[in-house]
Amino acid sequence: MRSPMPRNRSLWLALAAFSFAAPLALWSAPAWAQDPAPKEGDKPAEGQDSKKEEKEEWFAVTNGDVFTGTGSLLRGMTILAKNGVIVEIAGEVDIPEGAKVLDAKGLRIYPGLVAVSSAGLFGGTGSELEDSVDPFSSRMVLGLASGITSSGVGSVAAKLKRGEIKGVVMRDKYSTTLAFSTNNPSTKRNLAEKLELTARYLREFRDYESKKASNKDLKEPPKKGVDSSILSVLKGETLARFNADSREDLLGIARLAQKYGFRPVIDGCGEGWTVADELGRAGAFAILTPRDRNDKSEALVRPGGSSIENAAILHAHGVQVAIIPSTRGVDLGGIAGRDIIHLPIEADFAVRGGLPESAAIAAITVVPARILGVDHRVGTIEVGKDCDLLVMDGDLLHYQTFVQYAVVDGKQVYDKEAELWFAHIRPRTTASLAPDVRVDPGEEVDPNAPPKVDPPKEGDGPEGSTPPEEKKPGDGDAPPEKKPEDPPKDSGDPESTGGEGGPAPESKPEDSSGR
Amino acid sequence: MARLPVQALAGLALGSLGILGVLTPALGAQQQPRGPLTGERRDPAPGEPGSRGGPGLALKTVKALIASWDGPQVIDNAVVLVKDGKIVGVGPARETVVPEGFVVEDVGAKWLMPGMVDLHTHVGGDFDINDMVLLANPELRVKSTVVPNNANMHRALAGGVTSCLYIPGSGTNIGGQGLLLKTGVDRYEDAVVRDPGSLKVAQWGNPESWTVGIGMAFENWNTRTTLRRGMAYARLKQASDEGKGPKVARDIQWDIFPELLAKRVQVSTHTQVYQVVLMTITMIKMELGIDVYIDHGEFQGFRAAEKAQKEGVPAILGPRNFDRSYRGFVGMDTDGKWLGIAAEYQKRGHKQIGFNTDSPVIPSEELFLQAAVGVRYGMENANMDTVRGLTIVPARTAGIDKQVGSLEVGKDADILVISGDPADPRSYVHKAYIDGRRAYDVTLEGQRF
Repeated sequence: MRSPMPRNRSLWLALAAFSFAAPLALWSAPAWAQDPAPKEGDKPAEGQDSKKEEKEEWFAVTNGDVFTGTGSLLRGMTILAKNGVIVEIAGEVDIPEGAKVLDAKGLRIYPGLVAVSSAGLFGGTGSELEDSVDPFSSRMVLGLASGITSSGVGSVAAKLKRGEIKGVVMRDKYSTTLAFSTNNPSTKRNLAEKLELTARYLREFRDYESKKASNKDLKEPPKKGVDSSILSVLKGETLARFNADSREDLLGIARLAQKYGFRPVIDGCGEGWTVADELGRAGAFAILTPRDRNDKSEALVRPGGSSIENAAILHAHGVQVAIIPSTRGVDLGGIAGRDIIHLPIEADFAVRGGLPESAAIAAITVVPARILGVDHRVGTIEVGKDCDLLVMDGDLLHYQTFVQYAVVDGKQVYDKEAELWFAHIRPRTTASLAPDVRVDPGEEVDPNAPPKVDPPKEGDGPEGSTPPEEKKPGDGDAPPEKKPEDPPKDSGDPESTGGEGGPAPESKPEDSSGR
Repeated sequence: MARLPVQALAGLALGSLGILGVLTPALGAQQQPRGPLTGERRDPAPGEPGSRGGPGLALKTVKALIASWDGPQVIDNAVVLVKDGKIVGVGPARETVVPEGFVVEDVGAKWLMPGMVDLHTHVGGDFDINDMVLLANPELRVKSTVVPNNANMHRALAGGVTSCLYIPGSGTNIGGQGLLLKTGVDRYEDAVVRDPGSLKVAQWGNPESWTVGIGMAFENWNTRTTLRRGMAYARLKQASDEGKGPKVARDIQWDIFPELLAKRVQVSTHTQVYQVVLMTITMIKMELGIDVYIDHGEFQGFRAAEKAQKEGVPAILGPRNFDRSYRGFVGMDTDGKWLGIAAEYQKRGHKQIGFNTDSPVIPSEELFLQAAVGVRYGMENANMDTVRGLTIVPARTAGIDKQVGSLEVGKDADILVISGDPADPRSYVHKAYIDGRRAYDVTLEGQRF
């Protein structure tokens, strides 16, 4: 097996180790400070200082043309993030000492893309995602390389946290899947009954809630027969999700939604363009693939079948459209342009059908974020949202554009030049495109040097025998020239040496990366 | 896949043309049982400007993608003159005189370009085109299965494809004779560009499923033996026809080989991995002297690109667009650089790179996307290589560049009116003229495609 992350794996190992070690270190810090009897008086103080420093991780992208995803284009802006959250977007920003800085001069910055559903990007699936995620999955790197920073997986909204296993899951059970199909009429009847029952219960319960203060004798209405998932839909806690394509089903769903006051998410929505007004009135979301092709049944007189204008017509009627390719996994068989890692190309087909480009971008960013219930965190570039950004070399929707850098939670997790996949395609060689500061400490390492492990920055493995030296806080990256001298077994951290097959294979891709 | 009956299509065509008031005897004939297949070409709808029998048509545009083989590629502020289904003039507006009686149509900011040519499709009619009788069947013909202007061809046209090579499947080493067809034309006689369009050869990669126990070596032997016997027949027949040798009776099984010998027809080879691409070049082109092109070019066939260029074997690529280094035919999950197939052919100096879809694997209307992802994964587009790879390159490859493939005087007026860069999925076809006849018009479709 070749390593998917040739250059900065050690960084990720260190980060992963840190995310394990940090809570432990914080918890045990006072004991540690007292026990080993510090030789110099300033040691514990410095230790605390550096801990504070670690708490505030600053990250800045400078000089980029920021396409915020909210309709604005801000030229030459700096985006400053603290601990993964955007705190400032402005032309002149005081970047704190020690911040990691990415120069995006001549490049464009877009919000990270949100795949409303995907398969295989995390290694794990569904509600078990948190336990089964593979943060070193090559598919995850390909996802980031294609611009996807968040995705729905089963019932989970998750982030592509490369090299980390904390904070992967943003939200669980964001939607309730309901069955409603003309082909299976009992599903229609069942759903209508459940909705009616639950709506009645909810009315009675609210009535009880408002009156119980004044009337102590009032009894809570019985919850018998009430479906808790439908209850959460009617209370607006989750969205109701349907799989429907035919006009009959779409109309039925739209009318139920209007009657009971919930917002349906309709996956497929093939004939949505024929009933767009009803769906718009129902406040529906549509998840669709603009290239889907289905002929209308010849028995029908009314309009039907697929239309490339589907997204455009639905959008014009107020339906929020999310776009997803027909293949929701990564296609490594050689056919490009139809799978999850070509989201913008799929969105292009909606533009071909008349969807405005801003809506096409929203359809792969903020609308899926809304469907996943995480639009307060991702989907646009705004102060207060997570710092999930793409630094791109052109128009997001153009077929030639590549992601140069991907940033997730204020950390650069992908650099096109540093990975094997696409570095050779139109290399980023010009000085104007190159960043002033390399965030990746693995870059300068001599590939022939013995396998390296990042110097234990903030402490230490369980051994903990070496307290932090007189390293100045603030310089997050160790000076590169130190690295080759580090003996490989310096860190006795079992997490970093044992876990991912050891550092040995990592030098191989560096050799063969063609440079 | 569902197939619309001819009746419905004919009805559709009648409906749309009825609006124009150009209902013609030729279209009426659509409803009649077919007569003998004469092969002569007739225009189904005389009367409209540009079509046969109608007044001339002058198309004005801000940008015309000419795509000539070695002449101009683009003319800004251009006029294209069409008369009787042929292009009779192309030039900058300021230098071109629109003749008396020509109807001027200004397409505004939209662009003009030649209709696209897809050299690997299976949607010319019935899907029953993969007859695995023997392991080599050079006598089988797809023409018996054609349904002109069927639903899939209409879609292809909506995507800008005006000519296609309709070929048998790849179940055997020689699947039979393909057919070069135009898409948006209702009558077989009018739709045929050339019959036979090609002799379809499929090298290792598919035909081994015909039976167990055969592999690359046998397939090479099988292909070579059949082609050699056919060429031997062709030479004897030629000598016989010229009165130089013993009398040779016509053998229908080897009918296509005199055409191959005369270089009127090419072999289109479904050839993908390096070893068999090499065989395509060395065996069919160098050893047997037959004009051949790489069709369905994929995987690491590009490692033979230099040789292909040297020996004059064009490369028509798709539907796979990238390969990853260090990957065998089967191992799908190793890491590696993404090597764009078109990019790798180009990097090795190949000059005749075109695209195909293998429709319905990838539908024909997405032919342009093959070019787009070709560029995405590294192909340089400095000389309009995307547009050329969709038009003049495949036309020249199939030997029909005297007729189609560029906007040049004397060629068929197969012209697209398109909203922008044809490789960009955001652009769409407004109108498609075939032989000067308005075969597709988005305003008549009721919706875009």
